[in-house]
This record gives sequence, structure tokens and C-alpha cells, in this order.
Amino acid sequence: MLEVKDLRKKFVKITKDKKKVEFYADDGISFKAEKGQVVGVLGPNGAGKTTLLRMIGGILEPTEGTVLIDNLNYRDNELEIKERIAYLSGNTKIYNTLSCYELMKMCGNIYGVSEKDLEKRIKDISKKLNMEEFLYNKIGNLSTGQTQRVNIARCLVHNPSYYILDEATSGLDIISSQVILNFIKEEKKKGKTILYSTHYMEEAENICDYVIMINKGVIIKEGTPEDIKKSTKVTNLRDAFFALIDESDGEVHEK
Amino acid sequence: MKNKFGIILKKEITELFRDKKSLAMMLVIPILIPVLVIGLSALFDMQTNKEVSDYNKIGFNYELSEVEKSIATELGIEVIVNSDEELIKEYEARNLNLYVIKNENNYILNCDEDDTNAPFSLKLVNSLFAAYKEVLQRNYLTDKKINPDEVINLITVNESIRTSESENYFSSYITTYGFLFIIMAITVSATYPATDTTAGEKERGTLETLLTFPIKAKDIIIGKFLSVTLSSFITGVLSLVLLITSLSIAGEMFEIYEGVNLMLSLASIIYSLVVIVAYSFLISGVCIAVASKSSTFKEAQSALTPLNFISFFPSMIAFMIDVSSSRVLSLVPFLNFTLLFEDITAGNIDVINLVLMICSTVIIILVILSIIIKQYKSEKVLFGN
Repeated sequence: MLEVKDLRKKFVKITKDKKKVEFYADDGISFKAEKGQVVGVLGPNGAGKTTLLRMIGGILEPTEGTVLIDNLNYRDNELEIKERIAYLSGNTKIYNTLSCYELMKMCGNIYGVSEKDLEKRIKDISKKLNMEEFLYNKIGNLSTGQTQRVNIARCLVHNPSYYILDEATSGLDIISSQVILNFIKEEKKKGKTILYSTHYMEEAENICDYVIMINKGVIIKEGTPEDIKKSTKVTNLRDAFFALIDESDGEVHEK
Repeated sequence: MKNKFGIILKKEITELFRDKKSLAMMLVIPILIPVLVIGLSALFDMQTNKEVSDYNKIGFNYELSEVEKSIATELGIEVIVNSDEELIKEYEARNLNLYVIKNENNYILNCDEDDTNAPFSLKLVNSLFAAYKEVLQRNYLTDKKINPDEVINLITVNESIRTSESENYFSSYITTYGFLFIIMAITVSATYPATDTTAGEKERGTLETLLTFPIKAKDIIIGKFLSVTLSSFITGVLSLVLLITSLSIAGEMFEIYEGVNLMLSLASIIYSLVVIVAYSFLISGVCIAVASKSSTFKEAQSALTPLNFISFFPSMIAFMIDVSSSRVLSLVPFLNFTLLFEDITAGNIDVINLVLMICSTVIIILVILSIIIKQYKSEKVLFGN
């Protein structure tokens, strides 16, 4: 199980009059993601989604709060946690000078996959993601969609229990996006836990079991897509999102 | 968990050898060493072994006597007789190497200090007048019924300058310059991959991916450090091989090295390799430390430019003012490498100085690496402050 407890991250920004002002990109976020669950993290730009996922992925250190993965925390078990997760964002860049095969092999070695298993996994994954044609090509020569498929492949190599996907479909065409959505569905079936942040509400409504809506660093609503739609009295998650953001901004203004 | 720096090292080496710019930095710069050695040797050779026709056009403001003409012909002097004004004009037009103005028994030799041929012309004309003076003295003494040899050669002065078989001024100069260039080549070779593997990786966004992997910061840094060291070491070894080869060719080609053994002994080559390894480690660590503070490739390159000067500066100073190695100076980074190379050139290898240099380098590298590892453990490496 993945558990986030009262997570806060403080940054400093420079104001117009060149003063340094501290602010919380995430301010007391708590939630749980169970085994086999796809949890959507939704919110407008600057809401704190990427910061949250980076803290869960171990790239950023929380100012306060804890991330627990299988009851392990980053302070004491950083490498053990990282072995169990795969982090992928829309901005994730991979080594252009390596071939897809070399990258997957490198990742497998890093995660301690045995040579025998690794070769089999690379073969299986490249077949599943339709990468056989360009497996030995340099990543720098691939299209955006093919590169993102390589990114998924390197996440799959070590068979992680948790996926942290930050706007993984952003900038991709429909076909490439569908590859990622199919991958999420398949991994969910295998009992993997997936944290998925996206701007596309239809995607979220389609694949998420549970949704957390964030605005200005705080959770403004959480529940199943159905619960959220019911509570906001709308028929789709997009309208619910707008209603909740408007309501939240109003509350912030009133404060 | 086992060490994973080998995986990072393999990745870094693959990237290094597939990147044309890194390869160029690593392999092309050493090629300049033969150009430097052969070029400088040719220059020295030209300066010391000039053809007499380069400096023998001498102007006179008077008609030379038959005796003077005979000596001038013997010395290969091309005599041009003209008025004072015309001689000045011809000299300024570079048609004369020197001109002589005679005023009764006083001869004034005129030339410019900054003319590189002037010392040769002066020597030639001085020989002319010395010989002419001797003829006049002999004639005078003979007229007075005195044996000139009894007066003129009352004392004799001969030069006996001892020269070492193994080195002369030029060989020492060229070898020291060659070693100085090796230091410069290693520095330049370390700069590019150090920038690429730290700030470049940050700028390309792959560092964020790397930091999501279960690898210790120590393994990442050691892998990167060793790959940069390998690059600079390859440059250093290639430079040394080319230096030895070009010294050997220069020794055969130029008269200035006649009777001098330019070849480094096996011991000197081994000591040189030890210095090259130590310097490669040090400069790679320093370059990575500086570049990893930068967030873009350009920023890192700007930050590393002063480092290039800082690394050459002590070497240049030591080279210019002739600083000698000592126990204390062997501990001073950058300076110690030049001084050791100078000792190797002179054949005065002091093992204690070498050991002190290694100790000082190891301590500095450990401090630098621990600072970089601490930086990579923190999110600041990706996002600054």
C-alpha cells in the first residue's frame, strides 16, 4: 500500500518587488492508494501535482510529512522504495545515445534483474509494446511516441509494484496515448498500484478508481469518479472539475 | 546492496565514445603536440643556424681598402657603398642588415635592437674589423721591425664550454614545454565530458530520470568521475606518446639537438604516467565539482573557463621564473605536477616528492568527491536552492 501523510513542500518565490516569499506548493496532502488501484491526481497547472508525485517518487524531499510505501519510508529505506516503484512523467528524458535495448538492459542491471531474466523480459516487453522494429536503434533517432514507449518499457523491466505517472500522455498523439492507457489497464489487472496525474478528464474518468483533486496545494475533493460527479451534481468529471476549482478559488478568495 | 558505479561507468563511457565532440576533445588536442615540438624546434634551429645570406648585406659610407675587401669576401660579406643618407634609407627599406659609418678612425656599426638578424650581422662585421685591425697592427709592427707575434699574442684566450651529453638548453626547453602542453591537453579534455555528464545531463532532463533509480549518489558520482578521468587519461597518454615520438623525430631532424639524447628513459616515462594519472584524477574531480553546480551546459562552460586559467597559471609561473621542486611545493595542487615534469625532464626524479604529490592529490579528490556526493543526495542538484 502507498500512503501519503500530511505532505508539505515549501518553496521560495521572488515577488515583483524582488522580495523572497515562502509558499507551500503542497500543503498537508494525505491519501492512500491500495493494491490494484489507479488513483488519479487532478488539478490545474501549478496546483502542486508534479511536486506531490516528485515527493512520492523520491526526487524531492518533503518539508514535512511522510511517504510510506509498503510501510517503508524514504528516510530509512530510500533504495528499497525506489526498487519497488517506476516513475514516468511526460517530461521524462532518456539517454539519446543509447539504443532501446541498451537502456532496458541498463535499467534491468540497476534494479538487479538477473541476466537470464533480463533478456527474456526485454524480448517480452519489446514484443508487447511493439518495439521490435526499433529495439536496437538509438533513442535519439525515434519519434516522440516511440520514445515514450521506450520509457514505458524501461519502467516495466524491473516489474515494479507501484507506478507514478505524471502527465505521461501529455504531448502524445491519440495512438501513443492509447498505448499508455492500455499499459495502465494491464498493470492494474496485475494488481499494481498506479498514481496517475493528468489534464485529460476523460482519461481520468475512464481509468481511475479513485480521484484526488488538488488546487493550490490542498486536496479540494477526493473519491471515486462516480462519487465526485454525484456530489457536484454533474454528469462528467470535466464539469465536476470546473465546478470544484471555481468553488475552491472562491473559498481561497474569501479567506 | 552491491555497488552500482560500474553500470553508471559503462553508461557514461558508452555516451562518451558516441559523442563526436567528446571524442574530438579527447583525441584531437594531443595532435597539436607534434606541431608544437617540430614547429618550435624548427624556429630554434632557424634562429641558431642562419644562412650567412640572411644577414650579410652591410653598407659602408666609405670605399673599402683592398685588405678590407679581401677579408669581407672571405667572410661572405656583401659590401654596399653609399652616402650616409642613402645607407639610412636602404637600411630602413630592409635592403641592408647593418651599415657602418666611418669618421676618421672611428667606425660606428648601426642596426636595430629588435631586428632578429642584428646579432648575426654585428658578429660578422666585428669579425671583419677584428681581422682588419690585426692586419693594420701587424703591418705597423713589421714597419717598426718588431715581430708582431711577440706583441699580439702575448696572451691567448680559448673557450671551453662543457655540454651535457643528454641535454642542452633547447632540448630542456622543448621537453618542458611539451609536458606543460600535456597538462593543458588533459585539462581541456576533462572539461567537456565533465560538463556534459553533470550540467549537460541536468539540462537534457536525464538526471531526473537517473535520480529515480535505486542507486546511491556515491555510485552515480564515482561512475561519472571515473569516466571523465578515463577521457583525460586517454588524452594524457596519447599526448605523452606523441611527445616522445615528436621529440625523437625532432632529434633526428634539427642540428640544435646534435649529440643530445632527446629520448625519455623508461623510468622517466613511468614517472610521467604516474603524474598524468594523478593530474587526470584531480582535474576531473575539480571539473565535475564546478560543473555540477551549474544548471545548464553553457553556464558550466562559463564556470569552467576560469578554472582552465587557474590550472595553467601556477605552471606558467613556475616555468617562467624557474621555481624548483621541494617537499612543500609537492603538496601544492597544480604547481606540483609542473615541477615534477620539470624534474623528469632534468632526470632528477625524487620519489618522495612524487609520493607527496600523490598524497596531496588523493586528499583533495576525496574532499571534492564527498562534496559532490552530498550535493547529489540533495534535491538541490536538480532544482537549485
